[in-house]
Amino acid sequence: MSRRVIGIGAEDRGDDAAGIEVARGLRNVDAVTCLGGPLDVIDLWEGWSDVVIVDAMKSGAEPGTVKRFDGLRDRLPTSSFVTTHALATGEAIELARVLDRLPPKLTVFGIEADNVDLGAPMSPEVKEAVKRVVAEIDHA
Amino acid sequence: MNGDREIKVDYLARVEGEGAMYLKLRGDEVQDLKFKIFEPPRFFEALLRGRRFSEAPDITARICGICPIAYQMSSCNAMEAAAGVTVGGQLRQLRKLIYYGEWLESHALHIFFLHAPDYLGYDSAIEMADDFGYRVASGLRLKKLGNEIMTVLGGREIHPINVRVGGFYRVPTRGELDRLVDDLEWGLEEALETVEWVAGFSFPDFERDYEFVAMRHPGEYGILDGRIVSNRGLDIPPDQWPDHFEETHVEWSNALHAQRIGGGSYHVGPMARYSLNRAQLSTKALMAAHDAGLGRTCHNPFRSIIVRAVEMVHACESALEVIDGYTKPDRPSVPVAPVASTGHGVSEAPRGLLYHRYQIDDQGLIADAHIVPPTSQNQLSIEDDLRAYVPQHAHLDDERLQWELEQAIRNYDPCISCATHFLDLTVEREES
Repeated sequence: MSRRVIGIGAEDRGDDAAGIEVARGLRNVDAVTCLGGPLDVIDLWEGWSDVVIVDAMKSGAEPGTVKRFDGLRDRLPTSSFVTTHALATGEAIELARVLDRLPPKLTVFGIEADNVDLGAPMSPEVKEAVKRVVAEIDHA
Repeated sequence: MNGDREIKVDYLARVEGEGAMYLKLRGDEVQDLKFKIFEPPRFFEALLRGRRFSEAPDITARICGICPIAYQMSSCNAMEAAAGVTVGGQLRQLRKLIYYGEWLESHALHIFFLHAPDYLGYDSAIEMADDFGYRVASGLRLKKLGNEIMTVLGGREIHPINVRVGGFYRVPTRGELDRLVDDLEWGLEEALETVEWVAGFSFPDFERDYEFVAMRHPGEYGILDGRIVSNRGLDIPPDQWPDHFEETHVEWSNALHAQRIGGGSYHVGPMARYSLNRAQLSTKALMAAHDAGLGRTCHNPFRSIIVRAVEMVHACESALEVIDGYTKPDRPSVPVAPVASTGHGVSEAPRGLLYHRYQIDDQGLIADAHIVPPTSQNQLSIEDDLRAYVPQHAHLDDERLQWELEQAIRNYDPCISCATHFLDLTVEREES
């Protein structure tokens, strides 16, 4: 089964880079970054059967908390994922669901963010979470 | 409703990025209106100081995930102007091609996913997709086509890494560009159909007497470089921007408000380009505009969705022309040696004129950087639109009024990730 990891986020915006850092840290799997808006995931997963998305989220949990969703079975919270874009990750997945464009398998990791200000450093809790998610995906 | 009221919206949907807005009404009279945005360019301007002149395209591309090419091209233009270098021939054609890809990508996103739901009465593209699945799928494919053009030329579609001061690191082969032709021919037909589709929407009867500002090039519908012109007689080279425009700080926004010196608000973007340069559109784009009922100029911001669709036609048709006439240049870039001087550069981002200015020292390091994105320039025009639009709709309840106001803001496709961090909208009404 062909597996692809898509790390969503924004560089230069503190913890919002969590998904990007995960994608860049992976060694044993095809990994790409998605910086231009989550809607691009629908193109990025085309032709891949086992897709993993990693993005920063703000759900009110402790920073660094990692939540795992089954993108096919769970209805994703459309507003919890951090985005500076017009359509958030949850919305892009919901849109793909309506259009019947979801991949056969879809796992979504949300990493709880703290500071997503422009120029902010990544917080220590999120850095640790990035390492945990990299390890979990690389050894899956 | 005669009392004063305030409407507050914490999150403005379907705009790029986030910001804030506050409106206070007394009856149908606007008491106070503030469009608040936070501005990444200030952060990046600081980041650029002390870096090499050649790093500007890659650093400024990070300002916006939707229009990185615009930032790269305006910064290249500024650096090349500072060095006294002109990039012409096929390299210039390739720059236009990658820029057409960005227009297509950005306009498709706005038309199908952000703006069309307003006219069709849906809260989101997800709901719209239930009834208009074909249209949404077509929007996705047009957007993908734009991304593909950027990938072929830029190395990767978002934050392209192949653009440099002086040209490119690597230029494509004829065969690589030929592989885009079938998709572009499909895109051209689909864009024409999109013009027809959006022209059938209902538009509020609203016009304003804008000062339109756009770039004009003698040989083409301005996109890559040219002079800055307006419908009120402005006609200047880019290095005179500071003599005619100023940025003022307002206490409610940490984005600077750009305005004409002594002249107030002005309007940049597709409607300005169309109204100033319509005759230079590609043949099919011009015919489509005519058939869609667009006049020689367009002053109704709600009809900007039609102009964006017309520009998608232009982008596809012009991209095909570039590919048709392409021969691989001997070298991917021309040498650019830094000169201690100030360079000004403009280009037409999908959302309008994007101005960059850099001061370079004799070591080729950036001593000062100044970036004015289209949304910063449109801030005052957005506020002026709302001031004119609100009295006609003040009778509506808060929820409906908010919907109307958000749509009026979305007419500008505000790229608040270029110009802001977060937006919440407040409308306050007071009892008199």
